[in-house]
Amino acid sequence: MTSGLLSNTCLEEKMSDWTFDDLVGWDDKICEIARRHGLDWYEIAYETIDYHEMIGAMAYHGMPSHFSHWSYGKTFERTHSMYNAGLEGLPYELIINSNPSIAYLMLENPLYLQILIMAHCVGHSDFFKNNRTFRETDADHVTRKFRSARQRIQGYIENPHIGIESVEKVIDSCHAIQYQIDRRGRFRLGEKDLKKSLIDKINNDKTGIYKNIDINKKPLEPEFDIMLFILENSNKLEDWERDIIEIVRNESYYFMPQIRTKIMNEGWASFWHYKILNELELPDSLHIPFLKTHNQVLRPWGGRINPYHLGFEIFNKIEKKMGIEECFMAREVMSDESFIMQYLDEEHARELNMFTYSPKGRKNPDWSIDDVADEEGWLEIRSSLIKTIGSNSIPVIYVDDLKDGTLILQHEHDGRDLELDYADNCMKNIEHLWKGKVKLLTTIEDEPFEI
Amino acid sequence: MSIFKEHRTIADRSAADRSRHKRKIEKAIRDGVTDIIADESIIGQDGKKRIKIPVKGIKEWQFIFGDNEGNKQVGSAPGAPVQKGQVIKKGQQQQEQGNKAGNNKGEEFYEVEITLEELSEYLFESLKLPDLEKKKFKSILQEKPKRHGTRPHGIRPRLDKKESAIQRLKRKASARRAGEIELDENGEESFPFHENDLRYHYIKERPKDATNAVIFFMMDVSGSMTSNIKFIARSFFFLLYQFIRHKYEKVEIVFIAHTTEAEVVDEERFFKRVASGGTHISSAPFLALDLINEMYHPNSWNIYAFHCTDGDNWEEDNDKTVSAFIELRDLCQMLSYTEIVLANERPNWDTSNNSKLWSRLKSIESRNMKMNVLKSKDDVWPAFKHLFGGEDV
Repeated sequence: MTSGLLSNTCLEEKMSDWTFDDLVGWDDKICEIARRHGLDWYEIAYETIDYHEMIGAMAYHGMPSHFSHWSYGKTFERTHSMYNAGLEGLPYELIINSNPSIAYLMLENPLYLQILIMAHCVGHSDFFKNNRTFRETDADHVTRKFRSARQRIQGYIENPHIGIESVEKVIDSCHAIQYQIDRRGRFRLGEKDLKKSLIDKINNDKTGIYKNIDINKKPLEPEFDIMLFILENSNKLEDWERDIIEIVRNESYYFMPQIRTKIMNEGWASFWHYKILNELELPDSLHIPFLKTHNQVLRPWGGRINPYHLGFEIFNKIEKKMGIEECFMAREVMSDESFIMQYLDEEHARELNMFTYSPKGRKNPDWSIDDVADEEGWLEIRSSLIKTIGSNSIPVIYVDDLKDGTLILQHEHDGRDLELDYADNCMKNIEHLWKGKVKLLTTIEDEPFEI
Repeated sequence: MSIFKEHRTIADRSAADRSRHKRKIEKAIRDGVTDIIADESIIGQDGKKRIKIPVKGIKEWQFIFGDNEGNKQVGSAPGAPVQKGQVIKKGQQQQEQGNKAGNNKGEEFYEVEITLEELSEYLFESLKLPDLEKKKFKSILQEKPKRHGTRPHGIRPRLDKKESAIQRLKRKASARRAGEIELDENGEESFPFHENDLRYHYIKERPKDATNAVIFFMMDVSGSMTSNIKFIARSFFFLLYQFIRHKYEKVEIVFIAHTTEAEVVDEERFFKRVASGGTHISSAPFLALDLINEMYHPNSWNIYAFHCTDGDNWEEDNDKTVSAFIELRDLCQMLSYTEIVLANERPNWDTSNNSKLWSRLKSIESRNMKMNVLKSKDDVWPAFKHLFGGEDV
């Protein structure tokens, strides 16, 4: 799902200024322009929904069918109350990575906004279809898989021997490690092949570096996919528990590419809605509010990076300097990390007036600026940005060893300490899944630390 | 060319998950209720007073980064000049005392603002007041709050299941006429409840002067009662007051503080006063008895009396205390004796579990005279339930 493009205007009782035929007519024109530019997207299935349904759809990541869990009720309530309190606008757009791509149009939106959203969605769908990061997401079957997962979990909830409490507890536990998966994708050597290749290496070893390797160690290599490790190595799990772990794990692999390409994906969609709307020759009555909304959505946020803004700026710059072909190439082969590495330069950092900042001290610290976009500072800015975007904002924790039934996890410390209260509670959740002891090794304030 | 369709579902798909979440929140409100007794005086307030309860958000745990210096963030502010070392976010002012809300990273707090009345509803819906003597107030009969139809808004415990089901059926029938029935994945008709179906009992305001209650809050204020003990007593009294107020139209409160002698004080002095001197617990129930004689005749008043102490009574007073409690017990709807003994404040030479007075009073415990020990604020709710029974919601 991508959702964003927040509206700051309050929702009032107003008559919509469009009909279904209007939408169809503008969609034809949008598609024609997009095709002329070489965009290649999944067919889009738009559904019109009201405000209440929109918040509901958002809570379930836009999936037409999704298993039930209290946390989605919480998301709903939070969105609803933030909106009511005027703290947050409603998302204009919500589209999922599926074939056809399901997208929602809110009934309350005025026509110019629907046009903007439809053009924006074409960009997203093109990105879903062409970007390599998404290759394993199986867009053709994803809605069916989610529906089946929902039915199975519903079955466990209704099963008198299992029940909602136990199901919730397992889902809670899985959610605690839902992003502790292999971020590069799930397909790699199985344990057997890994062992074989290692034995080969040991047999042909002339350097001696493989001398002390224990080929019976579990895992042979650091295992980043904690749920997978538990599935493969626990003999205490019931079938329904395995199934739930598998469901959550699959969902994580489905959403990980979106986490890893947020800036590119939003940048690409914004780049295209801007182009398309300018070519649509809208009457002023639509064009002026469009520009207003566009500028509002694509403004810098100050203390945080606005992915729409940054992605849009970078794509524009690539087009200006290297031509549109380079843009298409980037949308195909890159993710946010390589995209920033490749295209964010000093000039850009200066133009966007980027900076880094960090807390000074431990308790209730002031936050102050460390680097500004100058000759020395911009490289640090770029590397800090890379460290905080996408999945890099999630700590890397892997299974290092399995000793006497104790699962030993290791945190890959990169200068950022873990938040201990959260870590403690995650550990309890992992223990619930593992049904045994779990240990985590990390570093806190430069000292080794064990949880 | 894209596909367009009107979304036809009438189902409120997140309703079930919202109610699961709500139940967790309600539990958090109950768990947090002993924390809300802040410095302000709330015991004597009427039900309209709004209070804010910090309810800890039901967290979804994940591994996240803390705020150490290594955790640099990146910002972008075109047009606004920035300089190295410029402070862009001030540390928050030192929070008040330690265990107050909001200190930890990622603490989500729902500030639920509710009236005392609503709070009571949540807390006490499932509890029953002891059904002892039905008191009459002069010639006016005790009137129960009556259900007066249903309304589309209300609190969960008052949900009218039957009426809600009827509403759902009505909606279903009209949806069917409009051809809008949704099929679920199995091709079966799926027609879940929608928020608009729900109906709640409407409870009409109780008639005035129907029933009266008087509560005697009695507390030992001798030197051994530390402020932590009083804090717990206050939480306990607060619950008791809210509960009784919730059940009666008119409630009067009498605060009786005592050392070796008892006196009637106001709420503030009751909780803040520190007195030196010894302890004669009997002085408090005797004063209550005098007041009942003068002002609160048991024929017109429902009488409640609650006493809190650390149990440190002077021994020569124990006999008197027992007889005072017996006399008071026979006039009260409910009388309780509560010892608050904090584990970390207990002198270590004292290994007995309860005071000598405790074992004496134990022999007169009955249906309307109950005893409790509170070791921490977590014991307040169980003790309360011990008094008034009822199942946890």
